[in-house]
Parts: sequence; C-alpha cells; structure tokens
Amino acid sequence: MKPVGMIAKAASVIGIGQTDWPGDHARVRAAQKPHDSYGYAAQAFVGALADAGISRDQIDGLIVGPTTAYERVGELLGLDVRWGGQADAMLGVMEACMAIASGQAEVVALVYGNDQRSALVNYGGADAQGGGAFLSYVYHAPWGFTSQGALYALMARRYMEERGMSQAELGEVAVAQRMAAARNPAALMRKPITIDDYLASPFICEPLHIFDYCLINDGGVALIVAEAGKAERIGRAPVPIHGIARHDLNRGATSLEPRLTDYYQPAQKTVGEAVFNMASLGPQDMDALQIYDSFSLHIPLALEGYGYCKPGEAGKFMREHGISLARGLPVNTGGGHLSESYMQGWNHQIEAVRQVRGEAGERQVPDCRHVHYSSDVAGKAVSIIYGR
Amino acid sequence: MANAQRIMTLYDVPMWESIERRKMALPRCSACGTFRYPPGPICAECNALDYEWAEVSGNGTILSWVVFHRQYFDDHPQPYNAIAVRLAEGPIVVSNLVGDEPDGSWIGERVTITYRRHLDRLQHAFTLQNQKSTQLNRGEDA
Ligand SMILES: [Zn+2]
Repeated sequence: MKPVGMIAKAASVIGIGQTDWPGDHARVRAAQKPHDSYGYAAQAFVGALADAGISRDQIDGLIVGPTTAYERVGELLGLDVRWGGQADAMLGVMEACMAIASGQAEVVALVYGNDQRSALVNYGGADAQGGGAFLSYVYHAPWGFTSQGALYALMARRYMEERGMSQAELGEVAVAQRMAAARNPAALMRKPITIDDYLASPFICEPLHIFDYCLINDGGVALIVAEAGKAERIGRAPVPIHGIARHDLNRGATSLEPRLTDYYQPAQKTVGEAVFNMASLGPQDMDALQIYDSFSLHIPLALEGYGYCKPGEAGKFMREHGISLARGLPVNTGGGHLSESYMQGWNHQIEAVRQVRGEAGERQVPDCRHVHYSSDVAGKAVSIIYGR
Repeated sequence: MANAQRIMTLYDVPMWESIERRKMALPRCSACGTFRYPPGPICAECNALDYEWAEVSGNGTILSWVVFHRQYFDDHPQPYNAIAVRLAEGPIVVSNLVGDEPDGSWIGERVTITYRRHLDRLQHAFTLQNQKSTQLNRGEDA
C-alpha cells in the first residue's frame, strides 16, 4: 500500500544534539547556574549541526521550543531563515514536516533549551506554569487541587479501579524505564529500582508515588530535519518520518471530562488510525515506543489507546509481556522523563532517531526498524513514526 | 508559598456570588438546557449564546479522588483530599470531601454540596449522603 498524505516520508532527521544532562544537573544541584534556556538551546544546536555534518548556511527554517523567544534564538544562532516559529516538540516536528512538504523550507533546525530547574519553575502551587495554555492547570486551585501530577493522579485512580490495574502493575513503568536509564550514560537516574522499591516510595499525590513523576532538570535538545531527497544527499544517516497525526480533545477540558471518562483514548484511537494509515504500518511493525511520560500513567493509556493491547489489559500487558529492554515491547528506551531527562518530549524524538540509526549503545533495541512516538498532553494526542 | 487564588473571569463572578449565598448557580443554556462549567459565554453543545443562571441541586457522584501528601499552598496544609464530582446537572466539578470518608473506594459514592468558610470567602465542599454519624464535623460551616 502506498503511503497516504503528502508529509509521509517527506522529511528525514539528519542531525541530533543534546546538552550534558547529568553534568548540568549535578552543577545545578550544587547551586551553580551553568546556562540559561538560550545557552542550553545553543549547545544542543551546535551538537546537532555537528552530528548532521552540514554547515549552518544550509538551514532555511527554524523552530524554537516554548521556553525561548523565536527571534532571539535566531539572532543568537545567526540564522536568517525563510520559515519558522515556536512550538512544542511534537508539533515542532509536525510543522517542520509540513513546511518541508509544502516547499516553505528545505532544512529546518528545531532547537529547545530549558533552565526550569535552576530557574525554580513550579508546576504546582500559586505560580504553577501552564495555566495560560491549559485552564485546568489552575482553575481548581481554590480546593487545593494543583499540579499536573494531581490531574494524572485523579485520572489514575479512576482508571485503575475501572480497568482493574493494580498499583504494582503501574509500577512496571518506573521499573522498566529505570532499567533503560541504567544503560544510558546520558540519563540522570541510573540506579535500578524494584517494584517493592516503587511501592515503598512516598506518595506525592496519592495514588501516584514519587517514581511516577517526571524529573525536573535543565537542558537542551536539537534536531535537524531536511527534505527527504536532500537528506539522502547531505545526511550521513537520515531517519525518515513515516507518518504524523494529531487529534485534540478540547470539549470539557477544564472540567476534566475527556480525562476522566475515556482517558483521552478516543483521541489516541483516531490518531493511531491516521498515523498507521499514513505510514502503511501497524502496531505490530513497531520495534519500540517512545511515550511522553510526564507521569507513568501515560504508558498504559497509550498501550491501550493505540492498540498494543486491549482496553483494560495494559496492567497485565506490562506485567506479563513486558515493556522493558529485557522483554516485551521496549518503551522509553532512554529512560524517558521519569529517569533520563525531562526535556518535554524533545528527548524522546532524539532517542527514536538514535534507535533507528542503531546508535543506542547498550540500550539498542535489536534490528530496530520503526519507532512510534506518542504524546497526549492535556488530551492533545500526537503520534510520529520514525523508521528506516 | 502563597494562598490558592480563584480564577475570576467575567463569567465566574456570578457563580462565586451564588456560592456566597449558599445557592451555587451555573449558566444554563436557554436553547438546550446544558449547564456550563466553568461558566462561559457560549454553549459548547449547541453554540447558543443565551443562558440564565440556575441553581444546582447540589447532588452528585464521586468520579475520582486523590490525597495530596505535599503542600503547595499556605491555605492547604497536607494531607488533604480532592474529589471530582459529577453533578446531577451534568458538569464535573473539583471540590473537597468533608465529614465522613468511605472505608474503601470513594468512586460512585453519592454526595451533597455544602458550604464552608475558607479565608475571606465561602467555598463549596461535599459530604457523603450516607453519613456514618449525624454529628457535624468540626470546621464544618454547613
Ligand atoms: Zn445549548
């Protein structure tokens, strides 16, 4: 079957870069300030450009992450371009592919830097971030209900009871991702944990334990995405983007309707059909998953939502089939947001690229042909398929 | 740290005034009868603009609950609970359960609205319809 849609395989990733996450984390914890968001973005960009082996002059498009101003990043990097903007990781990749497919740009740099840890950014409390974009993050504060963790805790409680997932089964996520991080020299949290460690760890917002929460650290990530033909000519190891799809649930978002009734899974079903159709592939063709994991719950929801297992069977799937590098379907092979680095979806993109290239070292998934990235932040579902 | 702040748009003000009167009201669509929460200028079901403020029954069912073990606000020392309640009128509201707590799961428990003083205002909270005791809890202002 022929791929559907003009952005299927229209663009390929030709370069990836990242900052020294563990090194900078140690420095920040020692009360130093290694860089600000722009400094991290700049470092990651230089790395991605070197990895691609191209010159800066070949870049004609620029996407910057939500934490930096578009013009200032362009100014700092010396990039005059014919197309650009600001986006999160998933929409950034999508927009770059759309710009390339429509002829607005040929080589796009995507650059993200975030000093959230050293800048003491809060995701809960009176100055919680994100309320401007998502009213649910701040609307329920008068009742003490704050933090994205609490939103997922509320969702997790109902999901676990309705679908029959145990706390220990949810713990499989943190344990598997820590195992991946242990094999990843660039990960922050590398000490293996067991299900018992997970169950004995403190609650933050019950039923979620501290190991269900993402890290908060400074850092940067960059990618260079090029038109597929050009990528073949100039790239050393191009990784084509086989499909991208998106579906946003906005109705009832603040009153938590799509979160608490169907756990965002209708959006994932729609996106799954679209992205697999576009790529002419199915869940059975995916060798690894990268799932946006601000909280562990994202993983069982995506496993069911995209058809990797039946609704209500994610707990059993994680426990019996497995989601680690040791067995089953490897998920978040770098350690994800829980154990590698909280780069707000950006680190998942470069981990997907690395796996398809076969450059993931000790954590390499054998013969990794296709990687499915999924996110469902606040009910905005996005999927990207990277492949050979 | 600081106290938790209310979001107070043009459409939230009448709701908080109704809570202050111990008769929580929400905008109800004049065309299709759908209640809006948070209060807003248009019906998400039928896109009718007209509405009237209608008092809610105060009856609902718990959809989910959490317990905070970390303090985020000066005015909410941990541990404390939060619940999501499906009101009889349709919308889901986030609130707190006061008084008796269920022994096992809270999901599906029927609850009724109450009002309690919080700093300089009244806020809604909910109590189980099947109270284990008839005695009002301390701090309760119902
Ligand atoms: Zn209506």
